[in-house]
Amino acid sequence: MDLDTYRTGLDQWLDEHVAELTPPYAGVGTMQERVDHLSKVRRLCFETGWARWGWPEEVGGLGGSTILRAYLGEALASRGLVDPNFYSTPEVLAPAVIRAADPRLAAEFVPLLLSGEEYWCQGFSEPGSGSDLASLSCRATRGEDGWRVTGQKVWTSFAQFAQRCVLLVRTGTQESAHRGITVLFVDMDTPGITIRPLATIDGSEEFAEVFFDDVPVPFERTVGKPDGGWAVAMDILPDERSTSLWHRGAILNRQMDELLAKAPAESLSPTAVGETAQLLLGFRARSRATQYRLASGERIGAETSIDKVLLASAEQAVLDLVLEGLSQQLVLGDDAISAQWRADFFFSRAASIYGGSAEIQRNVIARRLLDLGPDR
Amino acid sequence: MMEESDLELFAQSLRQAIDRHKGENLDAALAEIGWFDALATDAQTAIAALFPILGTANASSTALEGVLAVRLNASSGPGRVVLPALDGWEPPGVRDGDLLTVRGLLMGPVDDGEVLVIVANGADGGAAAAAVSSSLLNFRTVGGMDPAARLMEVTGELPCPELSSVEQDTWEQAIALGRLAIGYQIVGAARAMLELARDHALNRVQFGQPIARFQALRHRLAETLVAIEGAEAVLEAGVANTTPFLAANAKAIAGRAGRTACRHCQQVLAGIGYTSEHEFHRYMKRTIVLDSILGSTARLTHDIGAQLLSVGHLPESLPL
Ligand SMILES: Cc1cc2nc3c(=O)[nH]c(=O)nc-3n(C[C@H](O)[C@H](O)[C@H](O)COP(=O)(O)OP(=O)(O)OC[C@H]3O[C@@H](n4cnc5c(N)ncnc54)[C@H](O)[C@@H]3O)c2cc1C
Repeated sequence: MDLDTYRTGLDQWLDEHVAELTPPYAGVGTMQERVDHLSKVRRLCFETGWARWGWPEEVGGLGGSTILRAYLGEALASRGLVDPNFYSTPEVLAPAVIRAADPRLAAEFVPLLLSGEEYWCQGFSEPGSGSDLASLSCRATRGEDGWRVTGQKVWTSFAQFAQRCVLLVRTGTQESAHRGITVLFVDMDTPGITIRPLATIDGSEEFAEVFFDDVPVPFERTVGKPDGGWAVAMDILPDERSTSLWHRGAILNRQMDELLAKAPAESLSPTAVGETAQLLLGFRARSRATQYRLASGERIGAETSIDKVLLASAEQAVLDLVLEGLSQQLVLGDDAISAQWRADFFFSRAASIYGGSAEIQRNVIARRLLDLGPDR
Repeated sequence: MMEESDLELFAQSLRQAIDRHKGENLDAALAEIGWFDALATDAQTAIAALFPILGTANASSTALEGVLAVRLNASSGPGRVVLPALDGWEPPGVRDGDLLTVRGLLMGPVDDGEVLVIVANGADGGAAAAAVSSSLLNFRTVGGMDPAARLMEVTGELPCPELSSVEQDTWEQAIALGRLAIGYQIVGAARAMLELARDHALNRVQFGQPIARFQALRHRLAETLVAIEGAEAVLEAGVANTTPFLAANAKAIAGRAGRTACRHCQQVLAGIGYTSEHEFHRYMKRTIVLDSILGSTARLTHDIGAQLLSVGHLPESLPL
């Protein structure tokens, strides 16, 4: 399947089914409404095959280039049919699981993820370990017939809706740092797991605290080697900065376009508009090249930190401009559309925090790309 | 299109030419290597191959005029075309009845009697090109910010010569290509500045350690690389699909990246970066000069913003 054929077919299908695929709620909707709608879009896209292209056949895909996945997310997001923040989790978690997990595990669970039957969450951050992920302390000990997990995760997006968690646990001594970490694939309904949703700055319960109290996890659910989890986790990070970022670029284009159409005359300075459009273009050009490198089979790595810095700067510039041009709605509006703009504005602030903060990305660029040597 | 391996060879001979020759000699060397022929067959590839190296070597050349010449169909060799006056992109000539008034720039000295192509707007709005002998024009060798850039200011008032009409589209295309060329040259200069600053950071010791250990400086250099890579990505997109919109943005983004490199790299270099003894100043000055040709970052950005506001829509660009 080549991109042009895929594009033509998908665009036509989306046009024909737009009514069915459009969210039934205005603006942000409740978390449950958003989850239900996304499940429906995923199911429809999977049944028709669109969401299977670009994924390996072993995990329910139809094969073909990853570019097709980049385009599907772009097409859905730019039409306002999905929220990429929500939509793109499979892009972040599934590739690493496919690469590192037992093929039977991937074959069983990835199709459920792609078809919208299930959600996965990413259990990396902890109260004591944010940027310094290698210091994490949620512990797994070897029992008779499996791991026993005890500890806490935090900022786990969509944990309360997820059936599975890609969980980072400490299996070595605390001092072993990144050498003593293991990745587990955990069922979220296992007894001993407690989820406490946290209200984000816009009031939605987008992420949660997750507590583990002597939670049993079978050894077969180990992804990669025991104590080899750091490599798996590091393998996820570039995925966090490739296809899913292209999807974010699509929604930013849409937001910028809407702003230009709706901002009252004279409310925006031409220079600010030009500069913001350029930040967006810079990010999109870079990310586009990354999509093609990924599609050509290149292993992507630290250079995607540049994509992430460009995205965070562009996203915050676009939404700063939205705040400027649509301040009536953002500051005073009590309707669903205003709430959506506010949520988008606040979410743009997270772009320099999640998936490695802006500072961490710059550390990576300095160390790995500029080869400036150690920083201490 | 050239094959990857041919392109590498071509770039290598361009690099050698730039190392060995300066000024007019460099232009002659470029002609000999076949760069102007490459420009005529595949302008975008020729631009992307030459201009980054010009920037990194801080070389001066009239190649930019050649880029416009090719689109104006004015020449198959190192054609000389008068560029718009500083900071603008309107044709350098104005026709009023029988009179042609010229105000523009050249990227290097001219020989006596050398023929220059001048594009002029008429009172009717249409553009036209004339071939004018240099003996009819006045030239001033520009010292200014960066004498090594070898800019010439051209002025003149002469009886209007025979004109051939130029489509508006053709002028826009010529400017677009020129903007890509300058953008690449600035990015090349920015990479050179980054390399100088990086080198300095690794070698300069303060407080008993290389200053490269200080995060404040690491982040400045990281920021510089991000700006450069973003600009290069847009330039590459502009090479693949040279629309005036993309090219104008690419030049503005490259200009901004150049200024970012100036700011951060000079801060890392500190005292030595404030001297005429260290290489840095050449790149900084050249970046500022290049930024102000065919529309500065500030002007282009304002212009693009105003356009976007007036159409009320973001043009579709960079599809997969
Ligand atoms: C919307 C959102 C969704 C998220 N979803 C998930 C998820 O699904 N799963 C998950 O595991 N996590 C998730 N996170 C957590 C995210 O990965 C962390 O917030 C992030 O890694 C930063 O950790 P922290 O918040 O503890 O900040 P800290 O690490 O404490 O950082 C605080 C500040 O110090 C700076 N800093 C830290 N170290 C350095 C350094 N070496 N050099 C310079 N500056 C430094 C940081 O840049 C930051 O500015 C999410 C976060 C957000 C905002």
